[in-house]
Amino acid sequence: MAAEELCWAGIGELGRRFRQRELSPVEYATDLLQRIERLDKTLHAYVTVTAERALADARAAEAALRRGEAGPLAGIPIAYKDLYATRGILTTAGSALLADWVPDADSACVRRLQEAGMVMLGKVITHEFAFGIQFPGHRFPAARNPWNTDHIPGGSSSGSGAALAAGLTVGALGSDTGGSIRGPAAFCGIAGIKPTYGRVSRAGVVTLSWTLDHAGPMARTVEDCAYLLQALAGHDPADPASSREPVGDYLAGIGQGVKGLRIGVPRAYFSEGVSPEVGAAFEAALDTLRRLGAAVREVEIASIQAAPAFMVIMLSEAYAYHERDLRERPDLYGEVMREKLLAGALFTSAEYVQAQRLRARLQADMAETLRTVDLLATPTALVPAPTFSVVWDPDFPFARSNMPPFNMTGLPALALPCGFSSTGLPLSLQLAGRPFDEATVLRAGHAYEQATEWHRRRPRLSP
Amino acid sequence: MSEPSTDITLDEIRERIRAAGVRIPEERLRLVQSFLRDALRPIRALDSRAIRTVEPAVTFDAATGEPRHGR
Repeated sequence: MAAEELCWAGIGELGRRFRQRELSPVEYATDLLQRIERLDKTLHAYVTVTAERALADARAAEAALRRGEAGPLAGIPIAYKDLYATRGILTTAGSALLADWVPDADSACVRRLQEAGMVMLGKVITHEFAFGIQFPGHRFPAARNPWNTDHIPGGSSSGSGAALAAGLTVGALGSDTGGSIRGPAAFCGIAGIKPTYGRVSRAGVVTLSWTLDHAGPMARTVEDCAYLLQALAGHDPADPASSREPVGDYLAGIGQGVKGLRIGVPRAYFSEGVSPEVGAAFEAALDTLRRLGAAVREVEIASIQAAPAFMVIMLSEAYAYHERDLRERPDLYGEVMREKLLAGALFTSAEYVQAQRLRARLQADMAETLRTVDLLATPTALVPAPTFSVVWDPDFPFARSNMPPFNMTGLPALALPCGFSSTGLPLSLQLAGRPFDEATVLRAGHAYEQATEWHRRRPRLSP
Repeated sequence: MSEPSTDITLDEIRERIRAAGVRIPEERLRLVQSFLRDALRPIRALDSRAIRTVEPAVTFDAATGEPRHGR
């Protein structure tokens, strides 16, 4: 692999080179920091670059590698969504409210990855409080999509998606309340998994909506997501929703293929509003999965049309979290963000409870469907990444989305590249599975990825 | 008996804004109306008596200690 290609290398390849001393974690981190310096002026993926910390982490990893005490993530660079608390390092949540917040403790996820020997490159931008897109003039500029900087990289883990697609990190953390890991993964042509609710601790991650928030990894390949999830997963008493379900081995069976797996395709709801290009790429992906030996068939999810009740839960909980600041410091919110949050005050308590009851029914219906198939497949996003000019319209509505049903049900859901639009923008496949069965989701995603070349395409970047 | 309406009018939005004690500019009401219309459609279409056995998907753990979630 040529030196300039190394910025696209995966975790397995880098780990092998580090252990065989073909490559030094310090040199690698130095090269990536220079690449960030060169390319991020136009992409705005990073809000804080922690160069000194990165080099210190890399030196520590190099020493551990020399002692033979290093795990698979030692020396691998990582970027943290700026929603994750980092001890002694600015954590803004993309908001003027927290513009000067320096936490005194790491979030649980950051602690786990740092203990695994990862190299912190810095903090990557998030939409304001993981919700409101940054309009021109916002305290923090919006990240740009490396495939076309006129287009959004998705949100809210916008910096994570942009940094990965541009080769400015190897791994990243995102968070996903209604698609904020999978959306940027879809728009940036990378992979991202929203794990099962309770699988990965959210302790120290700034809240958007308690019962819908998920923390999880993003990377350029499904296998890299598996490496990261392996280190992130597990019980944490600091997160009240954290599960004690045993953690599987996400890498052991990842190469077993999809032969014999039953993949259900729920057309109702999930195919409504899908653009022709996305639809064609999705059908081609299903053909590939069939060719690889999966049994693909259509399925029904009885109460799927209740999925938009997601907005009642999300907006009500977000308003509850922000209520006091909205009353006392409204000027520190972006204008459109503030108005969207205030909409959460307009639901009645009965409507919130009914939305949670619909959610319980959807959860039961999806579980029923997943008794007949092993996985569900849908397009991730209905359309390729829109332009900034479209989403900067203050009246731009919440778009209908295929991602929130899996926040409602808490099921694991993976986004991975499955094609490109005629204008060169990435398209994405979503695979969802049974609770805590991330292993099967990752296995199927990896099999698809190995059979296709979409994840190997790179954007043309100019400094 | 007629089916309950699943729409939400601008007057109802204004009434809800007054009841909640928040301020949302008049020029944003149509946007807010679109959020609420989409979000409430499945709830307004629901006959809650038909799903009396379904409990909300919210859990409570009496043994949980002081959470340290968030900032």
